[in-house]
Amino acid sequence: MGVKYQGVQWNGNKVVYDLYMLVALALFMGVFMTIGMTVHPSGHQADAVVLLIRALGCAAFLMLTVVLTIGPLARMNPRFLPFLYNRRHLGVMTFLVAAAHFGLTVLWYHSSGPLNPFVSLLVSNPLYASVEGFPFEAFGLAAFAILFVMAATSHDFWLKTLSASVWKVLHMLVYVAYGLLVLHIAYGALMTEKSAVYVALVIAALAIVAGLHVVTGVREWSRDSGMKGLHAPDGWIDVCAPEDIPDKRAVTAPLPKGDRVAVFRDGAKIYAVENACRHQNGPLGEGCIKDGVITCPWHGWQYRPQDGVSPPPYEERIATHDVRLSSLGRVFVRVKKNPLGKEGAFIDVGGAAS
Amino acid sequence: MSLNKGVIPAERDDDLFIGWAKAPAIDRRFLFSAAPLLLGATTGLGWLVAKNLSDPGAGKWDTTATHVIEGALSAKPYPMIRVADPSAPFGMRTVLVVAQGKCTSGLDLAAKEGIPVKASGALIERNGRQMLEVPFSLDKWLEPVFIDMPGVVADPPEERLGRFALAGRIMDSKCFFGVMRPGRGKTHKACAALCIRGGVPPSFWARDGKGRESVLLMTDAAGGPLGEDILPLVADPVSADGEIVRVGDLLQFRADADAYRRV
Ligand code: FES
Repeated sequence: MGVKYQGVQWNGNKVVYDLYMLVALALFMGVFMTIGMTVHPSGHQADAVVLLIRALGCAAFLMLTVVLTIGPLARMNPRFLPFLYNRRHLGVMTFLVAAAHFGLTVLWYHSSGPLNPFVSLLVSNPLYASVEGFPFEAFGLAAFAILFVMAATSHDFWLKTLSASVWKVLHMLVYVAYGLLVLHIAYGALMTEKSAVYVALVIAALAIVAGLHVVTGVREWSRDSGMKGLHAPDGWIDVCAPEDIPDKRAVTAPLPKGDRVAVFRDGAKIYAVENACRHQNGPLGEGCIKDGVITCPWHGWQYRPQDGVSPPPYEERIATHDVRLSSLGRVFVRVKKNPLGKEGAFIDVGGAAS
Repeated sequence: MSLNKGVIPAERDDDLFIGWAKAPAIDRRFLFSAAPLLLGATTGLGWLVAKNLSDPGAGKWDTTATHVIEGALSAKPYPMIRVADPSAPFGMRTVLVVAQGKCTSGLDLAAKEGIPVKASGALIERNGRQMLEVPFSLDKWLEPVFIDMPGVVADPPEERLGRFALAGRIMDSKCFFGVMRPGRGKTHKACAALCIRGGVPPSFWARDGKGRESVLLMTDAAGGPLGEDILPLVADPVSADGEIVRVGDLLQFRADADAYRRV
């Protein structure tokens, strides 16, 4: 029986990460509640439930901020790959914290009143037409709905069922959710609390997330534009010299249509495959060859360099590209992909090109 | 010009982290040093955010003890009990009565207007202003008593103090007096509006330039309970022209909902 999808499995690493995240969350909540309950003079103590609602909301925003920094950080420095590998669990945990914030809010602020609590959530502040009075609850609810859909479809089963492109679009909505959360905070907490610290923290979070994405985007763009002019007219491109590719690693090059190709070296052999991993479009060219197979840096899916097929029992396939050694000793890659499953022409620098 | 320009060099570290394999030494070193730093940063952020929360103000809600009072019941304009107290200003204390939850209008007190009662519930109190939180069914908290109530306490005359322009905020008395701390601001607006919709009496929280505050019970211009048209204005900074009337020890601010302006 073939295995239709290779879910990222539970393993010891993941348990350790999850415990670590839980410890971090517990520390945040514990410090928040302790300080929040004691910072004001006696007789002015805050209400524990209101504090808890606030602590959970802050924690969810902090967690989502961290989730969104992991992608670009891992592109910049492979030391962040472990965080990327575990990002999904952090995402689901973020949803659970947001759910606690949402549930407690509905319970404490909106229940046991003359309206259905969920109706109250949307109508008790009716100033939808106002710029500064706009109900921040609506932003939070929309963000929560997105997080819910993402958490519900986070398992690789859904990735497979919905198809990678639909899933990817769905999960890009996380940026919309983040924007909505910033509005939720700006229209709620920032209009209630007086300290400038909160404004500064939200701006800092936004700047870090946006800044990291811009920096990685610009880096990628400038690398790609450095590759312009390498396109040979006959449908092949000049990528590099064989020595430029470290053993077991790859160089990537942009293709005219916007895709990328990853050119791997395994000892004396040089192969080319499309750069996007079937799983979540991870950058295969930033991965390596492990035990003779191309291994994605994000979650470790594997493909044989010869034909782009995952080793049994898996059945995932990426396309190969033909490579040849030019008369000047350069590595040339054919722009057109091979059909899925077809072995690509490769170079053997120990001998001649195949 | 080098033809290699723009080629992405792969990282030279021989080990690459692969989730399902044992983490390479370089990653483990990185994670071991990053772990305490991240925990420290998380703790620091929790401290920073909690430290700067604004003072929720005075107010308490004592659900651990049953508070018992005896006095004259009135349902106009909102449920309240007037307790004779020679040591208090005007010889009395008015204790507002609200139901548990946010549906005070469910308390049916019309038939008990003016009669002396003994009532027990949870005490809510802010700066000397008192409120009693009671269950819905009257026999759980209310019983008639035979006490001698001075007429000025049972049915105090109205003293008209004149017309004033006040600036402040409309609060739901229950949360503001101590059930939710803080029970104000935009994050509490919806809750406050829901409480007032459910019959919790609205209070006008006016503050003058010197930071002195006064809390007045809000009624319509005729002294009756305010309707739902006040709800959109709850919790926001507003001002209104109205009449201040003293009834016993309680100040009322009488203005119709359309007299309020957002500021
Ligand atoms: S393994 Fe997840 S993107 Fe490649």
